[in-house]
Amino acid sequence: MQKANDKLCIEFEVNGEAVSISVSPSTSLLESLRDHLELTGTKYGCGDGECGACSIMLNGKIVNSCLVLAVECHGSKMTTIEGLANGKHLHPIQEAFVKNGAIQCGFCSPGMIMSAYALLDKNPAPCEAEVKRALEGNLCRCTGYRKIIDAVLSVAHGGSAHE
Amino acid sequence: MSRTATETVDTITASPSVKRASLIGARIPKLDAPDKATGLTRYLDDIKLPRMLYGKILFAHRPHAHILSIDTSAAVTMKGVRAVITADDIDLVPFGFGRDNTALKKDKITCVRDELAAVAADTPEIAAEAIKRIRVSYEDLPVVGTVEQAIAAGAPVIHEKTPDNQPFHFDYEHGDIDLGIRASDVIVEDTYNLQRQTHCCMGTAGIIAQFDAQGILTLHSLTQVPSLYKHDLSRIINVPPQDIRVIQPPIGGAFGSKLDIHPFEPICVFLARATSRPVKLTFTREEEFMATPTRQPMMIHLRSGAQKDGTFTFRDVRMTLDNGGRTSWGATTPWISMRTFSSLYRVPHVRQHVDVIYTNNIYACAFRGYGNPQATFALESQIDVLAEKLGMDPLTLRLKNAQQPGETTGQGMVLRTCGLADCLKTATKHAGWDVKRSPPGKQKTGRVRGLGMASMFHVGGGAKIHRSDGCGTMLRIDDFGVATVQTGSSEIGQGSETVIAQIVAEELGLDIGKVRVLNSNSDYKPWDVGVHASRTTFIAGNSALRAAREARGKILDAAADHLNLDSVDLDLYGGQVIKRSTGEPLVTIDKIIRGMHFGRKNDMIMTTDFYEPPSEIPDEHSKGDISACYAFGTHVAEVEVDLETGVVKVLGISAAHDVGRVINQLGIEGQLEGGIAQGIGYALTEEVKVENGRVLNLTFTDYKIPTSCEVPELKMVFLETNDPAGPFGAKGMAEAPLVPVAPAIANAVYNATGVRINELPLTPERVLRRIQESRDSESE
Amino acid sequence: MTPTSAFYSPKTLDELLELAAAPDTTILAGGTDLMPRWTKNIHPTPKTVVDAKHIEQLKGVKCKDNIISVGACTPLDELAENPTIQRASPVLAEAAGKVACPQVRNRATIGGNLVNASPAADTAVPLILLDAAIVIAAQGPTGAVSREIPITAFFRGPGQTALKAGEILTTIRFHTSAGEGTWAWQKFGTRPSMEIAVASVGMILRIEDEIVAHTRIGYGSVAPVPMRGAATEAALLGQRLNEDVLTRCVEAAQDEITPISDIRASAAYRREVIGTMLRRMLIHAKGK
Ligand SMILES: Cc1cc2nc3c(=O)[nH]c(=O)nc-3n(C[C@@H](O)[C@@H](O)[C@H](O)COP(=O)(O)OP(=O)(O)OC[C@H]3O[C@@H](n4cnc5c(N)ncnc54)[C@H](O)[C@@H]3O)c2cc1C
Ligand code: FES
Ligand code: FES
Repeated sequence: MQKANDKLCIEFEVNGEAVSISVSPSTSLLESLRDHLELTGTKYGCGDGECGACSIMLNGKIVNSCLVLAVECHGSKMTTIEGLANGKHLHPIQEAFVKNGAIQCGFCSPGMIMSAYALLDKNPAPCEAEVKRALEGNLCRCTGYRKIIDAVLSVAHGGSAHE
Repeated sequence: MSRTATETVDTITASPSVKRASLIGARIPKLDAPDKATGLTRYLDDIKLPRMLYGKILFAHRPHAHILSIDTSAAVTMKGVRAVITADDIDLVPFGFGRDNTALKKDKITCVRDELAAVAADTPEIAAEAIKRIRVSYEDLPVVGTVEQAIAAGAPVIHEKTPDNQPFHFDYEHGDIDLGIRASDVIVEDTYNLQRQTHCCMGTAGIIAQFDAQGILTLHSLTQVPSLYKHDLSRIINVPPQDIRVIQPPIGGAFGSKLDIHPFEPICVFLARATSRPVKLTFTREEEFMATPTRQPMMIHLRSGAQKDGTFTFRDVRMTLDNGGRTSWGATTPWISMRTFSSLYRVPHVRQHVDVIYTNNIYACAFRGYGNPQATFALESQIDVLAEKLGMDPLTLRLKNAQQPGETTGQGMVLRTCGLADCLKTATKHAGWDVKRSPPGKQKTGRVRGLGMASMFHVGGGAKIHRSDGCGTMLRIDDFGVATVQTGSSEIGQGSETVIAQIVAEELGLDIGKVRVLNSNSDYKPWDVGVHASRTTFIAGNSALRAAREARGKILDAAADHLNLDSVDLDLYGGQVIKRSTGEPLVTIDKIIRGMHFGRKNDMIMTTDFYEPPSEIPDEHSKGDISACYAFGTHVAEVEVDLETGVVKVLGISAAHDVGRVINQLGIEGQLEGGIAQGIGYALTEEVKVENGRVLNLTFTDYKIPTSCEVPELKMVFLETNDPAGPFGAKGMAEAPLVPVAPAIANAVYNATGVRINELPLTPERVLRRIQESRDSESE
Repeated sequence: MTPTSAFYSPKTLDELLELAAAPDTTILAGGTDLMPRWTKNIHPTPKTVVDAKHIEQLKGVKCKDNIISVGACTPLDELAENPTIQRASPVLAEAAGKVACPQVRNRATIGGNLVNASPAADTAVPLILLDAAIVIAAQGPTGAVSREIPITAFFRGPGQTALKAGEILTTIRFHTSAGEGTWAWQKFGTRPSMEIAVASVGMILRIEDEIVAHTRIGYGSVAPVPMRGAATEAALLGQRLNEDVLTRCVEAAQDEITPISDIRASAAYRREVIGTMLRRMLIHAKGK
């Protein structure tokens, strides 16, 4: 880590790409992703760790990027919502969210999808209760969660959750 | 897993001669969903214009005070600060429903969220720091924290022009209350207290304002009502409406919160004008909790009566509204409350009196349901009390008084279709009403279960409160068979874009992927009154359908010409002109269009439509057929109550709604599920707590909206009554699902515990307290 | 957030202690308490932030000579899923797994949870039940010096601990036998998830021949600090779990806690909920 004035130069990997940015020590990872790297898929919903809109994978774990300082991430690996789709092909979780009607205003969707990704990464066949618990840190005001839960279950069970 | 079913009542659709897959009623994913799923959608917060500055507002943070002076010098001189403005720098044009608000406040603070000054700076951090350096000297005044304090003799006056702190009174009456009282065998009466619920849009409020060299103002705005917005904002900022361009980026939730003009919007324009640069102003979550209006809190005193056989006789309503320190749309919500009292059931004599009272609390605006959840809570709670007094089952009593198709309600609303009785029967059937429900037991410890129901009534075909409740559409089909629909309606996440695409695709026999809906720029957007009153599917849908129908006629005529056939023998399907009798494809639509364009006709397919619903503006007595159709629904809630902690758990909700016709099954289920979740929040946990004018809960930890762990078992039935005026028979139902949730839950809590609670939310502490009080009064 | 001017990420405890000794320095662990305060300017941002997360010595769970040591910088999620913890002190695993949501648990550390000293800190009550010791280190004239205090002496008030300037919480220790017996831990909130406890109760009981032979009881969110329920324990020890004893326990509990009324609940309600939870837990324990 190098010091540039009162800014620090840090390097990390996002969605498989190496990046280096210079940030002040008090910049959150969320701000860095959105402002410095223009990865605006990760959202600000509260800045307090309470809504999950800013969820990303950091070194293999789901975290609220609003609760992380950018300078803490020197040498880290991250995946954001922009890193899930493979070219033109949506990730199966994204596909399931679209197909199941799990997206309304869509503001919670990136964080929600990242949480689902983290869950399925660890537990490829969760039951409904496990899905609910995995998403409890992600608030959604539009959908009432039912279709989101169905979408995640549909990926877990390799088909459509809708009867 | 949720179960859904669509039951058709009185189907009247003409079936085409050849059976084919229809888009209407299908499960169509939202067209914008892939972009949203991948993070590509650019919401307001994601937009950055070149040289854009960041705005920030200084709020009063005290409920009642005189402003003695505002010293901005320490902010102005900060590096990176480009403008600091106070009320002295702007024209103070009063706005809002009560014309008692200005963008920035001079002299007087009437609530904590009053805006005093604003800064535009190079970064959000500098703007925030500059705000902290502004020094305001105040003279604090006694705080009027409650309605009682506001109307007490000698109460401090909040607005000079309203010395009694009572800016509005509204009255409504049909029939003759005294006759109704005399005709009653049973009369019940109670007071209901409804709290402040706040929208909690996941994307916080914000705006970007930018002037170009010709003085044209471009706003990236989250408004739900762009046409009215331009008109109203124009006065406040002194820019002619024709010089305002409104761009509506995708929006992180609205639910009514974007219906009014909020002070931060003109403030941002003033900052842009002061700096000649684009300025973005967005709220933090904390600001969102404190400085965006809530659902209107209400105290409702309700008295109603019935004859021995259950026939409703009268209903007498007195409502008191804590209006807060300024007036937004909240003050007008009783106009909708009134419709439920007058028309959800047949009742010959109804009177409503409303007092709107200024306090030093925060104020309210529109919120999904618009005064209806409050009214329905009072009404549906009281109907259960009546039922018990009459010794009748709550279902039987409701069925006896349910409105029927063809009736005109006491308030003059004409129910051309009405599925209320079917909703009542269906929801209770699915909930197992007859088998599961038993009277409250005597159990004192552990957990008990109960079932409760409530119905709702809401406009389903717009609400004519302005001289026009219409919407325009411009449609064209290009050489490649792609239809572009410019609609006046706005997408706020509810899926209207997709519904309009479906309607147009169905009518033109196009693949839904061949229909593009444009709706986000006022330069090309036709007039529309805005997204509210559950009107978009119905009104914008009808307009789109009519534009598409005209285009369809033109294509068929051209095809008939081209094929030397009669156009009545042709139909459109799958992007082709087909033979109506056999379904045989004859020629592609795009070929016909190219033929028109390049052939001798030299013509294109372009149609326009402006649809004005056949509704009427209510007369001076608030009577009249305000909407083109009306939506009904019934919910049955099953709850479990912990008698020793007061925790209420919603186990399941069975909902039946008269939706006219389902256009998009996926979309309508989503509206229902989302509305029910908001209704559960309203019923159980959500309350903006205000004490002595100050807001106490400014985070999601202390303002609790439902999480994924609180999703109950849902059974949904959509009853299709095929409204003759609706597009393909559809009615609007965006607001409907929230409305009956809280009373259904409260009635279920009563059924479980024998304790009736007339205020929300039903927090564990409140429920336990009421259980204990009722035991104490029993043992006395 | 106002700017911080320096950020350090030491790799050894000695480096950390040296940095921690400087004035206007804040130790950063998971940041789940610090970040919201900084962004809201509730606490001024310090001049120097020192990240303690990269010091191996402060991370993970070790078991040696029947003593379990938990590094202060162990994330709660790891704690909840750690097999040693799950086996020897399931009550701690349970509480750690019930904090907030996966995103927060992946970052939040046990050390931060304790140093933050909220009366509602979910890991505190289980550690009280386990008679844990808190190991504290500071820079001395010739290298690190450390001291050890019982967990009950660690909390001094809301947000206040026994840590002195420059001191670091390094390790939490307890004996493997401390967690033996029937256990229970529950927090009560107004909704089933993402909830800061309105009140919490934990207990470890060993019942021999229907007589309570060992007991530890603790309460959260009902006093200025997470507390041990000594009076409740006294009412239980050596007794049979009959209706009388249950009633006396509940009375003792409601007597010894000193809850306050705040936006989340009233003091009276907290008392009642503690009584109900305690009674239900004891009945359940009897059934086991
Ligand atoms: C949305 C949300 C929900 C939450 N819900 C809960 C809940 O349900 N239950 C609960 O108990 N908590 C809850 N918390 C708080 C919880 O996350 C924290 O208490 C967490 O455990 C603190 O750990 P940290 O590593 O993040 O601490 P930090 O924020 O890094 O630090 C907290 C404090 O401890 C100091 N510190 C940290 N480590 C050390 C050390 N080793 N030596 C000396 N000082 C140190 C820091 O300087 C700071 O003062 C919640 C937080 C959030 C954001
Ligand atoms: S923005 Fe990070 S959790 Fe809400
Ligand atoms: S879809 Fe709008 S918040 Fe979830």
